[in-house]
Amino acid sequence: MTMRLSRLFAAVCAAFTLFVASPARADLNVVTTLPDLAALTKAVGGDHVKVQALALSSQDPHFVDAKPNLALALNRADLLIAVGLDLELGWLPTLQVGARNSKILVGNPGYLVASQFVKLLEVPTVQVDRGQGDVHPGGNPHFLYDPRQALSVARGITDRLAQLDPKNAQAYRDNLATFTTELEKSRADWEKRLASLRGQPVIAYHRTMAYLADWLGFDTIAYLEPKPGIPPNPSHVASVLAQGRQRKARMVLMESYYPDTTARLVASKIPAPLVTLHGGTDFKAKETYLQHINEMVERLEKGLAGKGT
Amino acid sequence: MATLSRRAHGALMAVSLTPFLFASGASAQDASAPPADAPVQESREDAAPALTPEELEEIEKALGSDAAAAQQNAPTGTAAPPASMPGGGSALSIPGVNTPNTGANFLDLSFILDVAAAAFTDKEPLQSGAHDPTRNGFNLQQLELSIGSVVDPYFRFDANIVFSQFGVEIEEAYGTTLALPYNLQVRAGQFLTRFGRINPTHPHSWDFVDQPFAVGRIFGGESNRGLGAEVSWLAPLPWYVEVIGSTTDATGEATARSFLGATSERVQSPFDLQLTGAVKQFFPLSDDLSLMWGLSTATGPNPTGYRNRTDVFGTDLYLRYRPITQAYNTTLITFQAEAYYRRRQVPGDVLTDFNTYAQAAWRFSPRWATALRYELGTAARGEDGARVIDPLDPDWTESRNRVSANVTFWPTEFSRLRLQGARDHAGWRDEAGYSLMLALELVTGAHGAHAF
Repeated sequence: MTMRLSRLFAAVCAAFTLFVASPARADLNVVTTLPDLAALTKAVGGDHVKVQALALSSQDPHFVDAKPNLALALNRADLLIAVGLDLELGWLPTLQVGARNSKILVGNPGYLVASQFVKLLEVPTVQVDRGQGDVHPGGNPHFLYDPRQALSVARGITDRLAQLDPKNAQAYRDNLATFTTELEKSRADWEKRLASLRGQPVIAYHRTMAYLADWLGFDTIAYLEPKPGIPPNPSHVASVLAQGRQRKARMVLMESYYPDTTARLVASKIPAPLVTLHGGTDFKAKETYLQHINEMVERLEKGLAGKGT
Repeated sequence: MATLSRRAHGALMAVSLTPFLFASGASAQDASAPPADAPVQESREDAAPALTPEELEEIEKALGSDAAAAQQNAPTGTAAPPASMPGGGSALSIPGVNTPNTGANFLDLSFILDVAAAAFTDKEPLQSGAHDPTRNGFNLQQLELSIGSVVDPYFRFDANIVFSQFGVEIEEAYGTTLALPYNLQVRAGQFLTRFGRINPTHPHSWDFVDQPFAVGRIFGGESNRGLGAEVSWLAPLPWYVEVIGSTTDATGEATARSFLGATSERVQSPFDLQLTGAVKQFFPLSDDLSLMWGLSTATGPNPTGYRNRTDVFGTDLYLRYRPITQAYNTTLITFQAEAYYRRRQVPGDVLTDFNTYAQAAWRFSPRWATALRYELGTAARGEDGARVIDPLDPDWTESRNRVSANVTFWPTEFSRLRLQGARDHAGWRDEAGYSLMLALELVTGAHGAHAF
């Protein structure tokens, strides 16, 4: 009896040690808020980092539940990378405090805000209040749709990885060089494929398209949301539809995490294709950032050809 | 109920063991995994630039003499900065400096207003929460000012100050440590004790306009809270296990009702304080489905005689279904249940009673939700099992049950309107009472995130 018990105890101990020991294989344990940031970190970190994203790509990044298992991930993180600009304000601070890990708190080297590397768009120049909807007073946080901005972010991440893990600094810089080459090559191709989108009128659902429009040069003429975060209402939708018809909108753009009934109706009445974009890289399914943008470009190409997705 | 909880417990055991098996399986397959007896710390350390023990000693010595010099130079009456840092010596800098684009952000302020119009069929409604609508006509439930800020690298500060028509009340004001080692966290000040699910929360995070009567009956209208200190620990396990222990003043009519309550008993020994303990476990059953399970207990003195004590045991279950893996699905379904068993020593007897509630809420569109709640509270029974008169609630001689249902509309995440109806059947009254409430809530300012 005692023999059996002690063997069981030994087995449990071994399992426990293995569990505790296994995450230490990577040199750095990185947690990012969004899957796009995770994909960029993986691209430059390679095998030296273990990366986990708190949100899924199918999820609206404004509304993530502060689940305790996410706090647990932060408890074991060496580095937390967030978008910033209040995008994660509704859920990240609680997780940071609950994680009991001072490394990843604001102001410490283990906390990195990606928006500091970005040329920000839609920074309010007048005083804002919530009467204008769920505005981001620091600027639009949806910059990872633009691969040029993503590259700046990847550079920033590389510097921080190198600072935290100087032993592998050269590996990170080499990975960044490879990533830069690949991204620049793909970008030239993407820009060529979507050249005819330049100057075209487009309708969007939420104010997520600023950086994509800045990159590809299309003109967002209206948003289905009357104000950011406020769901569409009949009179506003009617005016958007009228604008779409009058200016011959080429497509209606939205993320897959928004309800699509209204968008589908408006698109069919313009008529224009409804192009649904994935809000981020499906990092959990091992998609890379380049694959994600490429997939988005394919969808936009189809949209230009008049086909919805 | 008993079979249900047993079955749930079995499922939990199975779930809690799974990560173990996965973890060991994955490591066993990987040939490059370090041997099981390798100290964890080792592979961590060679990630950092290697320092010899002599170098480390030199650094420590230099820091020590710097600290001593600072102490000598410090003007009298000013405390010297601490020589050693908590948190294992990780480099810390001043918060707020490294946050670009947001600027300095030293104090988060927000106001939350709860008002309601209510109608009751009872002349004296049996509402037990201090912020519940309690009379016909308009009710100012509360105006909450919440303040939060990081104080320094070691503490953050949070306060909730509640304004009512009758005055101002410091509901909570506490500091939380940010940099303790070993996964520990300490809160000190005045805070709501982390007993169960509803007790530590504020009205704006509830699915109903009013508080479950169990909380008011056992702890008081303001929920159990007190001046004291709390230690919590995140266990180094593959799933989330948090162990919480706190000690608080056992006084306050509206906050420690089953304990010393409004009496003027003094603290003479540590046994005169209220002790609260809890274990919270979280199971991410899938990306869409989460389960939180808690066990809580509180013990403290009651004023009925020398060393007479009250013990409260509770368990809470929270199931949340939110299909985040599906595109444009904004459904949110939650199920929440709590049960409280209370045991009180009184002269010549031991009183026990049982209170519970179960509620389900369904957010069926981004702006609309509906919820249903059932509550039950039994009469107090003596040691021999017979019903006895409870000195705290002399009227409560039979079971009471209440059913509430509501519909909520959110114009945005910062405001909500809620219509709620209830049927309250107290066995000691001739007829059931009915109520209808229309509540408005407004949130303004930088209101922080809520715990899960």
